[in-house]
Amino acid sequence: MQLCIFDLRRGQQEGQELDKILFFFPADLPFATQLSVIGLSEGLITFTRIFSPDAACEVIEAERHSHVFYEAESDIWMVMVVDKSKESKAACQVDALRKVLKEVHSLFVLFHGTMRSMLEKETSGGLIRSHLYPFITDYLSAYQKQSLLCNCCWDFLTGRKLQLPSFHDCLMERGTVQMLTVGREAAIEVQSLVKVLECSAGTTSCYSLVLFQDLLVSTTLSPDDTISLFTYAVLRLTPHALSSGATSWSYLQRTNAGSQVPALSTITNSGSVSDNIYRSRDASLDQENNCQVKRPLHHNRWFRGNDGFLASDIWGTDNGSQTSVTPIVYLQLTEERMYLCAYQHKSLTIILLVPVSSILNGEQGLSLVKQQVLENASLKMLMVEEKLSKGWGGENAYHVSGYRYLLVDDERVSRASPPAKVMTLAKESLLALSKLREEVNLEKKRAKCSNSEVNCDKELEICVRAKNGAWVIARTSRGKELYMVLEKASETLLYAADSVEKFSNRYCSGVFSLD
Amino acid sequence: MSSSDSSSSSASDDPNPKLKPQPLESQFQSSLTLEDSDGVARTDDASVAEQQQEQQDEGSGNGSVDGVVNVEDNGHRDSSDREEGIGSGEARDGDGGSGGGGGVVWRRANSEVELEVEAPASPSSSGYAGGRGSSGASSASRADDASEEDEIEVVGNDDGGAVGAPDSQAEWTPGKRHVDEDDASISWRKRKKHFFILSNSGKPIYSRYGDEHKLAGFSATLQAIISFVENGGDRVKYVKAGMHQVVFLVKGPIYLVCISCTEEPFESLVAQLELVYGQMILILTKSLNRCFEKNPKFDMTPLLGGTDVVFSALIHSFSWNPAAFLHAYACLPLPYATRQAAGAILQDVADSGVLFALLMCKHRVGTSLKVISLVGAQKASLHPDDMLLLGNFIMSSESFRQVTSESFSPICLPRYNPMAFLHAYVHYFDADTYLILLTTRSDAFYHLKDCRIRIETVLLKSNVLSEVQRSTLDGGMRVEDLSVDLQQHTGSTSRVEDKPHTETPERIRESSLVGLGGPAGLWHFLYRSVYLDQYVSSEFSSPINTHRQQKRLYRAYQKLYVSMHSKGIGPHKTQFRRDENYVLLCWVTPDFELYAAFDPLADKALAIKTCNKVCQWVKDVENEIFLLGASPFSW
Repeated sequence: MQLCIFDLRRGQQEGQELDKILFFFPADLPFATQLSVIGLSEGLITFTRIFSPDAACEVIEAERHSHVFYEAESDIWMVMVVDKSKESKAACQVDALRKVLKEVHSLFVLFHGTMRSMLEKETSGGLIRSHLYPFITDYLSAYQKQSLLCNCCWDFLTGRKLQLPSFHDCLMERGTVQMLTVGREAAIEVQSLVKVLECSAGTTSCYSLVLFQDLLVSTTLSPDDTISLFTYAVLRLTPHALSSGATSWSYLQRTNAGSQVPALSTITNSGSVSDNIYRSRDASLDQENNCQVKRPLHHNRWFRGNDGFLASDIWGTDNGSQTSVTPIVYLQLTEERMYLCAYQHKSLTIILLVPVSSILNGEQGLSLVKQQVLENASLKMLMVEEKLSKGWGGENAYHVSGYRYLLVDDERVSRASPPAKVMTLAKESLLALSKLREEVNLEKKRAKCSNSEVNCDKELEICVRAKNGAWVIARTSRGKELYMVLEKASETLLYAADSVEKFSNRYCSGVFSLD
Repeated sequence: MSSSDSSSSSASDDPNPKLKPQPLESQFQSSLTLEDSDGVARTDDASVAEQQQEQQDEGSGNGSVDGVVNVEDNGHRDSSDREEGIGSGEARDGDGGSGGGGGVVWRRANSEVELEVEAPASPSSSGYAGGRGSSGASSASRADDASEEDEIEVVGNDDGGAVGAPDSQAEWTPGKRHVDEDDASISWRKRKKHFFILSNSGKPIYSRYGDEHKLAGFSATLQAIISFVENGGDRVKYVKAGMHQVVFLVKGPIYLVCISCTEEPFESLVAQLELVYGQMILILTKSLNRCFEKNPKFDMTPLLGGTDVVFSALIHSFSWNPAAFLHAYACLPLPYATRQAAGAILQDVADSGVLFALLMCKHRVGTSLKVISLVGAQKASLHPDDMLLLGNFIMSSESFRQVTSESFSPICLPRYNPMAFLHAYVHYFDADTYLILLTTRSDAFYHLKDCRIRIETVLLKSNVLSEVQRSTLDGGMRVEDLSVDLQQHTGSTSRVEDKPHTETPERIRESSLVGLGGPAGLWHFLYRSVYLDQYVSSEFSSPINTHRQQKRLYRAYQKLYVSMHSKGIGPHKTQFRRDENYVLLCWVTPDFELYAAFDPLADKALAIKTCNKVCQWVKDVENEIFLLGASPFSW
């Protein structure tokens, strides 16, 4: 796999092409190769704009590679090149691959603000390069301990095995949140907890996010910010993420979970080609920034403090108090900077975002807020945790026997059969669904293009009986999507349709039922 | 190059001694003056002639090219023609020319011979365009068109038929349009579906819209993209941007590109590019690769000059002819005995050294060509795609279509043998019905003519032609016809027990039901018999009345076909698909494939029942709607 980020506003003069490159993975590829990937991408962006000025190149499909494009910010492109012979499973999942790019970007923006603003702050590009490189490498978690033992850089890179999204993941939806279903009583409790939390901060403009296990319980953030923060929480903050060290979301197939070594520093010292490149190019900056570049996705750097608040040394420690510095995140719409305070009680994780502007004296002020939260809300948190735990059905809570499904609401919220259950499906069924999802995505895109302002809700019902006899079903209706594999259904379409109907009535409040 | 090609393909054939001297001699005059018009050139229009002569002079530089093209028809004349580039170029028209100068001879010999040659001798497209009745854009070609019609009169006058009758191709006018556009024009950029053929050096060969010459820069860009990826040891398949797709197909030295925002799946578009390539091979054979081997900068446009109309007709058919994606052909519904009679005489002929004999008819204006009967010599089988391309070539070429005239033309069947020319004898019995006899022998004209006469006699005697006409008028299966049955037998189990009351699909319809669609909201269906490589399609009826609706349904079927046959995991068994336009049901078995379109509000259970009935119905009448037994594919 290759992943690059480039800025079309840079390096437009001959001889300065290298300046376009903001990030390239693997970084030790010769510049000529890097430039040829970017040259092709740029060429096709220009070419496709001849015919499709509003939506430039999205994918180049060649016999052996797929190039997936994502215009993260205007004129800043992310391109992922997937080798189909090596990552054959990933081949047909272009949309899923694009969502990976989208996710990387939104996480980056969450912690560092937009790339453009960073480029404007520091026009040489050194700053953004020094941030992107560790950030994305951490995201990809591309390094393994065993390969680190090897001094040879080449071996080191071939030793990695990246787990890209594949057809196996066709019953999940990246870039959505998964919600916990709560009873009415618990919902009221949660509601009052949220009120108390946000009052504790003493300002009206703070936000909270409540998670139980890896599921969202409540949010007061905008949908986009919710998704980024939820993604980050599941990656690094929830009890599951803290305990495993590795995460269920990682693309890396680990031979040895929990073996994450702060890889970057090792490489830096080993003087890898990549690092030399970045060093030589941004020598002064790099030296200076090396210690300052924050790596929010760095593994195993979060822990639960004695007071129940989560802390990390990623952002350093406060010189005065010896406590770790609280991270600051950016809200997408307002670009407002917020302190991120995370509290954990058993399975409950609470994230409180407090505007930086409302806290006058930094960490000291924050610790006051934290204290307030503990005083006002700790009892409530205990109660909520207890209530939710009682109602929680465990890992397979959302398993519906006989069905393997994915339900997506408004492209933001999803619920699916537990992965362990999806694993029981035959490869053919998953491939068929994966293909079907591609078709549906195309239909959705078309609907969006053709009536941009009016309702773009596509009403669609597709039931396919695959070669292996499984029914593979897609339904879209009123902004909701349902994907389903029924392997043990009987032969008839009517039976399969009936199963969908039952499911719809029971779990989707009849959205997919025919009137 | 010409020599090698010609020797390989046709030099071995002795030119017909009877024919040779006269056309040869006259050829230099007649074809020098009229060279472009391959067989239609019998105009005395001096200005046109002069024009062509000029073009031809230019063309002499391309003598080698001409040579290649000429290979086949040169069979008619002797090889001495090929001494000069021009000569060889003309040799080709010479056939045409034989119609002109030599035409006299021909006509003397047989009053209505018209020899056809496809390959243009002249480098300019207009010259050839005249021949094909297409338009290369230039005004010269228009003139040619006109002159061609005149000539037609002259030729046709031999028996007074087809006096310059303009082609009545209904709504769609063949030929290239928007020639004034290029890649800088907004209108050009907004065209929904572009097709390009270019050489691997980036030289434009064909563009559906716009003038190839003006598109040289654009063509070079396409070439650059392809070769850039190729240099990386890969091969680009497609690029997507918004609703646009750019699909690439590399065939040796020939690059084909489609740029479309029609939402057709990639698989469909690449299959269409394959057909476009096949069409080119049909005209030139794959031996054109050798020209590129010898000279990478080789300019192919002259060879294809005037065939614009063939390509544009083919591309047009991609939005209405199911044969293009089903890879199957359709038959004209006929009583079993009638088809048997036709098949028997064709078989007779095939045994006498004809490779393939096809009796075809154009089933209504604008709809696909249908097979009445077809027979292949032993072991020879004809691929449905070849039939599509051959049919398109003949139907789109004006000059073939003179009723009662005869054409003899080299063609190549890409699926049969992409390297060699066959020779096609084409004769129209009436405006819609025609006979194609294919042979490997370039000197077989008279033999084929004799065959045709024999066939014609039998067809007339056994009333085949009148049956054909009746069937053409009556049309094929209608969904309304099913409704009566269904209403009579509602409540019956999923399969129809009783035979639908139909001996022939063209029986009288209950007038009250016409225009309402079939039972359970059935609007239309396509049924493809897997073993026969044939399909049957119901007639369009309400509410699929307009061209636009038909095209939309066609695209929906096409998408469904691709979805059912998706690579690696297909074919699926069944598919039910409901959107705002239709309910589509598809059923694929080892024996057949059924595609049916219903009202979007149709009831699932009823729709399934109806599909079963349709299948039963088709089985009941398969004797009439399919060509059975005689299939060359059974070998």
